[in-house]
Amino acid sequence: MHDGKVKITRIEIGDGAAIPSQRDEGLFTAWRIALVLALGTLLYLVITQPEPYWRLLKFLPDGIVVTFKVTISSIALAIVIGLFTGLGRISRIRAINLVASTYVEVVRGIPLLVQLFYLYYALGRFVAVPDMLAAIIAMSFCYGAYMGEVFRAGIESIDKGQTEASMSLGFNRTQTMFFVVLPQAWRTILPPVGNEFIALLKDTSLVSILAVSDLLRRGREFASESFLYFETYTLVALIYLLITLVLSKLVSLMEERLGRYDRR
Amino acid sequence: MTGADPIIEINGVSKLFGGFRALDNVSLSVAPGEKVVIIGPSGSGKSTLLRTINKLETISEGSIVVDGHDLYAPGVNINKVRMEVGMVFQSFNLFRHKTALENLTLAPMKLRKISRQDAELKAMELLAKVGITEKANRYPAQLSGGQQQRVAIARALAMNPKIMLFDEPTSALDPEMIGEVLDVMVKLAKEGMTMVVVTHEMGFAREVADRVVFMDEGRIIEQANPRHFFENPNHPRLVQFLKQIL
Repeated sequence: MHDGKVKITRIEIGDGAAIPSQRDEGLFTAWRIALVLALGTLLYLVITQPEPYWRLLKFLPDGIVVTFKVTISSIALAIVIGLFTGLGRISRIRAINLVASTYVEVVRGIPLLVQLFYLYYALGRFVAVPDMLAAIIAMSFCYGAYMGEVFRAGIESIDKGQTEASMSLGFNRTQTMFFVVLPQAWRTILPPVGNEFIALLKDTSLVSILAVSDLLRRGREFASESFLYFETYTLVALIYLLITLVLSKLVSLMEERLGRYDRR
Repeated sequence: MTGADPIIEINGVSKLFGGFRALDNVSLSVAPGEKVVIIGPSGSGKSTLLRTINKLETISEGSIVVDGHDLYAPGVNINKVRMEVGMVFQSFNLFRHKTALENLTLAPMKLRKISRQDAELKAMELLAKVGITEKANRYPAQLSGGQQQRVAIARALAMNPKIMLFDEPTSALDPEMIGEVLDVMVKLAKEGMTMVVVTHEMGFAREVADRVVFMDEGRIIEQANPRHFFENPNHPRLVQFLKQIL
């Protein structure tokens, strides 16, 4: 079979948690060691010192919910922005291409924390934006640019022959993109999107400066009342770690499944 | 040639890649039902010429009229023209995320607005014609090269085209699979389809072609009916080429 092999291009962008490699065989993998250590430490602390750890563990979940809310809303919006940015980046119309490319350049050149401050206070001058909404807008604005690169790379990974075959049947460029190219590009795009999701989840800790009660801010609230800084941030860090470990496992499982798709 | 109006008319076409003339003042007309086989060394421009017929390649000079539509007239809808011109590629290019059957039904359903039921009925007929009904629900990656190419031919036919273009359809195939693809093409020719075929299969050219065209360095150097073409080649380049491949 000449055409039998399909290369799934791996796109490495952003800084999600380390994705456990499927080749990592054996009982001791970095992922398992980290998971056992995190879970073990958490349980040990809660059982041996219920005060303050048990109280903390009951106090923090509201923040976890907010963290997930911001993460999921932002990633959804970022995917939409990313799709259009990616399409813009490969557009043959120069004006569209320039707008998309400039957006990516600008966003990549400004630290996320600065973007958050800027959007929050700049927007705040003209309209009263709720904290949560400002956080979501800023996060998705930033991640939309990275996502745009993921989409662009995914689309460009599809063989030109697919486009030619589609056009030769009479499909126009838009139809070709939506019926032929994007459905195939998804397989390349999904793993790095999962990766970006994890990176975004970690970066949402930055929104705690906007008075959004995410996991980190809940921790800060607890610590500033109880002065138990060490205990609080130990637990906060462990919870972030556990969440990203579980998510990165999911992403790697998804990656493996998608790889299998072609050998059906 | 028959007396009917040509269905493809290529007139004084040149194509430049930078300073390189991939096509150099080429003219060729094809009558309805005619089978034209284009041969020539690699880099002679034969694939480029074929791809100008459905405008996958644009041209620098000249004109191309397909089924009455001037491809370079302002306002011409190239997608409408392409619906009438099927194309088969060297590398098959089946949609990898769709089964064989879905590869055949996608364009008729979306572009000709045929119901799924009718499209599938027609698709199964075509798959039977190319001899792979039992693989209808397989994905391209599960099919051999020969099977993929036969599905690709059926996919082009599903749009009911008036013209079929073949761009070296057997060049990427293992030798034992070439026959099955050529058989389908012979069958199609016998049904009266207008065909323009770029190939290295001289047996096919002899058996099927009404006219064989030899290209070299972007030009048509010689064209004749197959018997005359192979038995009394005129141009020294053609004589040399035939010596090399036969």
